[in-house]
Amino acid sequence: MSGQRTLGFVSTFILCFITWIAFTLAFTVQEILGGLIVSFLVSLISSRFLIHEDPLYLFNPSRLLGALAYIPLFIRELVKANIDVAKRSLNPKLPINPGIVKVPTELKSEYGLAMLCNSITLTPGTISMDIVEEGGKNQIYIHWIDVQSKNPKEAGDMIKGSLESGVRRIWK
Amino acid sequence: MILLRIIIDALFLIGGFFALAGVVGVIRMPDSYCRMQASTNTATLGALGILAGTSLYGFFVLNSLAIGVKSIVIGLFILFSNPVASHAIARAAKRCGVYMLNKSGCDQYGRDNPQ
Repeated sequence: MSGQRTLGFVSTFILCFITWIAFTLAFTVQEILGGLIVSFLVSLISSRFLIHEDPLYLFNPSRLLGALAYIPLFIRELVKANIDVAKRSLNPKLPINPGIVKVPTELKSEYGLAMLCNSITLTPGTISMDIVEEGGKNQIYIHWIDVQSKNPKEAGDMIKGSLESGVRRIWK
Repeated sequence: MILLRIIIDALFLIGGFFALAGVVGVIRMPDSYCRMQASTNTATLGALGILAGTSLYGFFVLNSLAIGVKSIVIGLFILFSNPVASHAIARAAKRCGVYMLNKSGCDQYGRDNPQ
């Protein structure tokens, strides 16, 4: 096992153990021992799927600050989109105009793309369906409940809004 | 203390309202993809509002660290697992050729991946 792989294993193990502690919150010997064994087995199997890049990439002051700043940004977008879709589904006329648009993104890293797509899907009204690479840029297919623009650039600005710049402060 | 109860009840009310809106949307929407859009309502603000309320209730009313922390962890699990599932369902449905209401005439996935 190389150094990178070992570091990945250790960080997955710590993540699993913290999750276990948060879920049980019982500090007895048998609980802790069981948690250690389970997180060892889980991280043995799954650490190479979870961590492909530098495991300590996130532990950098500016990236941690970016991650903290992303939380209020995301909650604001979430509430806005939820109110919008709730209004649409309660409206007697059902004002929807669905379609699938293709939107370019500047992000390159796996984690950044995953975070952006998850944020897009979590805000109601948009679901990210697929990612393809075309001409050195990643393109996301998005199902949009109210298509306001078929132009990729404009649609991208409307859907991603401030989310992408927030994600870019954390991942490449 | 009364202010805290008002905040907790308001969170429950918000969660319940968005869950109701999600259910109404699931019944009324015309195709599977739009139904999934409405059901994200229930999963995000519906469940998260109620879980935020329970965590506050656990921390400050029951004085139990376990209930508060568990509610937060459950909320995080929903945040991580729900989008992956709905992405996989939407992609599989589109690839199998499930009917899609194409009102806007804009189906760029179907254009690029003809069946």
